[in-house]
Order: sequence, then structure tokens, then C-alpha cells
Amino acid sequence: MKSIERFFRRYILSTIGILILFFLLNILLLGAYFVIAGLGNVKNSNFPIEELSRHIEADSGQFHIDAQAEEILADSGAWAMILNDSGIVIWEQDLPAELPRRYTATEVAMFSRWYLDDYPVNIWKRTDGLLVVGLPPGDIANYYFSFKAGYIRPLLAGIGAVFCINLLLMAYLFIRSTRRVEKAMKPILEGIHQLSEGKPVSLEEKGELAEINSGLNRAGDYLIKKDNTRAVWIRGISHDIRTPLSVILMYASEIEGTSALPPATRRQAGIILRQSEKLKNLVSDLNLTTKLEYSMQPIHKERLNAVESARQALSEILNEEMPEQYELEFSEQQPGKEITLTGDDLLLRRMLSNLIRNSMIHNPSGCRIILSVALENGSCIFTVTDDGKGMSEDRLQELNQDKSITSTQESTDDIEHGLGLKIVRQIVKAHNGTVHFSVAHPQGLCVRIALPAVKEL
Amino acid sequence: MYDKKILIVDDEADLLEALSSMFERAGYRNILTANNGKSALEVWKKEQPDIIILDVMMPGMDGFHVLKEIRRTSKVPVLMLTARGEADDKFAGFENGADDYLVKPFLPKELLFRVQAILKRSYPKQEKRVYLDASTVDLEKAEVQRDSGIYPLTAKELTLFEKLYQNAGRIVTTGALCQAVCGEFWQGYEKTLSTHLRHLREKIEADPSRPVSLITVKGVGYRLNLKEAQP
Repeated sequence: MKSIERFFRRYILSTIGILILFFLLNILLLGAYFVIAGLGNVKNSNFPIEELSRHIEADSGQFHIDAQAEEILADSGAWAMILNDSGIVIWEQDLPAELPRRYTATEVAMFSRWYLDDYPVNIWKRTDGLLVVGLPPGDIANYYFSFKAGYIRPLLAGIGAVFCINLLLMAYLFIRSTRRVEKAMKPILEGIHQLSEGKPVSLEEKGELAEINSGLNRAGDYLIKKDNTRAVWIRGISHDIRTPLSVILMYASEIEGTSALPPATRRQAGIILRQSEKLKNLVSDLNLTTKLEYSMQPIHKERLNAVESARQALSEILNEEMPEQYELEFSEQQPGKEITLTGDDLLLRRMLSNLIRNSMIHNPSGCRIILSVALENGSCIFTVTDDGKGMSEDRLQELNQDKSITSTQESTDDIEHGLGLKIVRQIVKAHNGTVHFSVAHPQGLCVRIALPAVKEL
Repeated sequence: MYDKKILIVDDEADLLEALSSMFERAGYRNILTANNGKSALEVWKKEQPDIIILDVMMPGMDGFHVLKEIRRTSKVPVLMLTARGEADDKFAGFENGADDYLVKPFLPKELLFRVQAILKRSYPKQEKRVYLDASTVDLEKAEVQRDSGIYPLTAKELTLFEKLYQNAGRIVTTGALCQAVCGEFWQGYEKTLSTHLRHLREKIEADPSRPVSLITVKGVGYRLNLKEAQP
């Protein structure tokens, strides 16, 4: 289930990407804020008290304020006063009337960093006194922070550590949560995958997704039940047809072989016999293809001599009364070489037999058929080649793609169900092999089957 | 061979009649029939047939049970004839002691050949001499008579000849012949096999370079052709 792992890996990576993007965006927004604040002169929250002080001059105990200083104060809506060492106001500008004109040392100490009657206060030490500037209430926020110097560095390190721990914790929780989702989803996705291949599904019906699992189990059971019903029906029909067909075959054979009967009757019996044989083959093919399709055919795999299996398949056909127009040959590409594979002998012989018979069916006027066996790159290669009329390019393409196989005969021909090649493909698949149809040279059809060979020690 | 008693058991009356008719037409003179398991056992006990053709699916006692009952006391050859074509059914038949298993529908000739082959295998002593075009092989004495000369067969030549004779007229693959001599592990014996068969051919053929009795089917195996009219 690599696709599922890939899906979750991609999901985690994309989420990490989103987190990184989120942080970058935040940094960008913060930067933008500072730029905008800078443009809006927000950074100059501190009143330019030093500059103001420079514009207030004392001359023989008289204070003079120039126009620029007045403008600074007016811009901020501020007032100003100068206190002497005794706490008496010796100069003032726009000082609200309700404020006292004399301050004790305690009062000066109290407002110097915070507020004087709700007026945020800035102070500046001059040679001739203490300049105090009061800003409108609510215009400036004054806070006073005090830390022991020894705490500052650990504090900064702590902030960094907390940030990193938060980041890691977030990543851990996220991955853990994803893993949990993955753990819950994986069986479901596997179940869907199995269903798509027509295999049975059995998921545990517990946990948060129990309902989905239960639904999938029901869907799987339903599909299997449907397949089984179809398979049992086909098997039942084919079973019920066997005995009557045997009787037909025997009587037709007897009538055809009775020389005392009129030739026309014997010929008709011969036709019944041949048609019954076709029905017999159809029943057999239909049964086998259904069982292979629904994995009901037990595959008895064993170590086999591929050359001997091919010989057996060929001899079975040669031992029948084969029409004279066909020439059957066997070719061992590496004579004496032992080619071993693991497979079901009966099915492999059936596969080769079907291919040879396919060549015969498609070339009723006769052809030369060669069955060869070879060992190539760790694969056992069976090739069935004929020099008959071959197949069209479209038909070859259709056979080489994994499309369903229809009848390979023309509509004018007698009954032919197209199951022979389907069975070949199913048997090859059951043995983890490949089959390829191509044009033989100079003419005809070439079918090449590659099955994994057992490696020689 | 044609005087052997054949018991045919099947619950389908039409098939039973068709089978009897087919064997009679083929020359067999002693045909017995039974249409269920119980009467099959009765006929078997009373008549002691030489071969039984037994259907599997029958009402009451099925073919496997009949076979089990027979195998308790007898080694009579039994060919199972059934509509159950699954591999596991075949294995069950062989495990119960069947000699052969044929799935319906079958070709009449195939059934005849199989019965013939079983009878040959099961009653070999009655077929002591095998007549070929140029020679006669005495299986009991393991010797060939040709042109008023006697040529003894080695043990391996005799084994090979018997295997070919059991399948006379049919191709026996190289592997099957090697297996007859060496058993399961016959790989690499092919060259030695061809030497044995060359020697056998020198004994049974008038002209070994142009054989008529022991025919090579190139790449596949060998076929033994009997003299058409066996005395």
C-alpha cells in the first residue's frame, strides 16, 4: 500500500509547509506593521523633551521660550514647567490651573516616571532645574519595568526555548494526530483497494470509524455473495448439462459408426457429435474461467520441468486424432537445459493446449504450429507460433491490453466463445507471468508467455 | 480382454443404457449394470467383475462410499465417472483408491481407451506376447523373437517397452519414459534413455534406421505401434 503511505507523507509535508508559510507570513506582517508605524511616526512615542529643553533659555532668572518650542508643545497638546531644587515651579507653559505650583521631593519622585494627576509625564534634568512636560491624559502609556540584571539573559533564553518547545510540541501533536488518522484510515483504504480487486474485506468494526468499516464489510460480503451466486449458478448449470451431454455424445457416436444406417443419418449424427463436443469444451472452459475469475480454482503449485510440461501438452494433442492439415513441432531452445518453474502442471498444460488449439481453430485450412521452450533472463519462455493467417493489428493490440476478450472468430463461423485466450491470460496471471501477442514472420501469430523460472543454485 | 466383466454403475438410466451399448459395440461381451450404490455392491459381490465404472453422485450411497466398501476387500480396478470435475474431487477419488477418473461429458472413445489401458495394466499376464511388424516381444521371458533369432531384453529395455506397450498407439513423452526407469528424479537421463531406446529398436525393428514400430516424435517422445492384427 505504498500509495497510502505516499498520501499521508505528502499530507504531513504539505502541513509542515503550511506552518512555515504561516510563520513567514507573520514575520512579514510584523515587518509591515513596523514600516507603517515608522511612517506614522509611532516610534517617536517619547516626547522630544531634550529638544524642547534646548529651546528654553534662562537669562538672569528669566526663562524665554522660542516659537519652535511653543510649536512642539502645541503639536502634542502638552504643558511644561521647570522646578527648582526646592520643588517650586519657576517657569510654566500652559500648566493646568488645578495642578500645584510646589512639589515635595516625594511627589516629584512619584510622578517623574509615571503620571501627574493622569497626565503622562516626561522629565529632563537642566542645570537650572527639572523640566517637566505633561501630555494629555490617555495620549501616552507609561510603564516601568524592573528586572534584576542576572535574569535578563535567562529570560531571553527562556523565551527562545518556550518558542522552540511550542513549535516542536505543535509539530509532534500534529504528526501524532496525523498518524492516528492514518492508522484509522489505512485499513479502510486497503479495504477499498481490496474491494476494487474483488477480494474479500474483513475490517475490525470498532473505534471512531467503526460505521465505515462495517459498511465496507457489508459491501464486501455483498459482492462476494453476488460472485458466489453467479459462480454456483454457472457450476450448477454446467453440472446438470454434463450427464445429458454424455448420453448425446455416446449415441451420436454410435449412430455415426453404425454402417447399417443410411449415410445421411450417419452424417447428421456426425454433426450432432461435433456440436456436442463443442458444447463439452464450452462447459469445461466456462467452468474453468469462472473459477479462475473468482479465485475458486485451487492452484496446486509444485516444482515443474517446463520442457516436460510442454511435451505433455503437445503429446495430448498429438494423441488425439489430429487433422492432417496441421503440422505440430516442438523446439527446445537450449537442448538438455533443465528449466524449472513453480506452477500448476494441469493449468500450464491447459494454457499451452488452448494456444495450440487457438491456432488450429483460426486456420481451418491448416498451418504449421511450433511450440518452443527457452530460459531467458531468469524467465521460462513458452512460445507458440503458427504460419497461418494471423490477426489484425487492432486485434493484437486489444489482446495485449488488459481488455476483456471477446470471440476471436468471425461472426460467420460456428460457435466459438472466446474463452480459450481468456483462460490463457488468467492462468498466466495466476502464475505471475506475462503474455504477449505479435505477428509471426513472415506471417501468422506468435504468442510469447514469460513465467518466473526457479533460480538454479 | 473382451471377455472381461465390466460393471457399470450410474443412476441415469439413459446413460447406463448408452454406456452398455457402447461397450457391447466395442466387443465386450460381459456387461453388468447397477443403478445405485447398494445394488452395485450386491452385483460386485455376486459377479466379481474385472473392472467397475462408477458414478460418484448417486442417491443413497454415493460412489466414494461404494469405492471405500469395495477397497476394504478387493483391488478390482475402478474408473470413477462423474459430473464433478473439480480437482479436489479427483484427488478424493484417487485417495479412496480409484484407478482413473473421467469427468462427464467425455468422448466415448476416450472412455474405451482408458478402460482398455486399465485392463492391460491390471491383467498383464494374459498379454504375455506383443506382436510388432517385424518381431514378437515376450514380456514374461523378456526377449524378442525376430528373423528366427532370440534377442534378450535388459531390465531397463523391458521397463521402457512395457511403458510404451501400456500406451500403445499414443505418444509417451521423454520425461514419462525417464520416470518409468529412474523414478521421480530423472533429470539428465534423456541421453541415456535414447541409448536404451536405440538398443531396443535394434532388437525389435527389421531396419532400425527406418523404424515402423518404435517411432520417434521429435522433441516430444516416442510411440509404439502394434501389428494391426494381433493374434
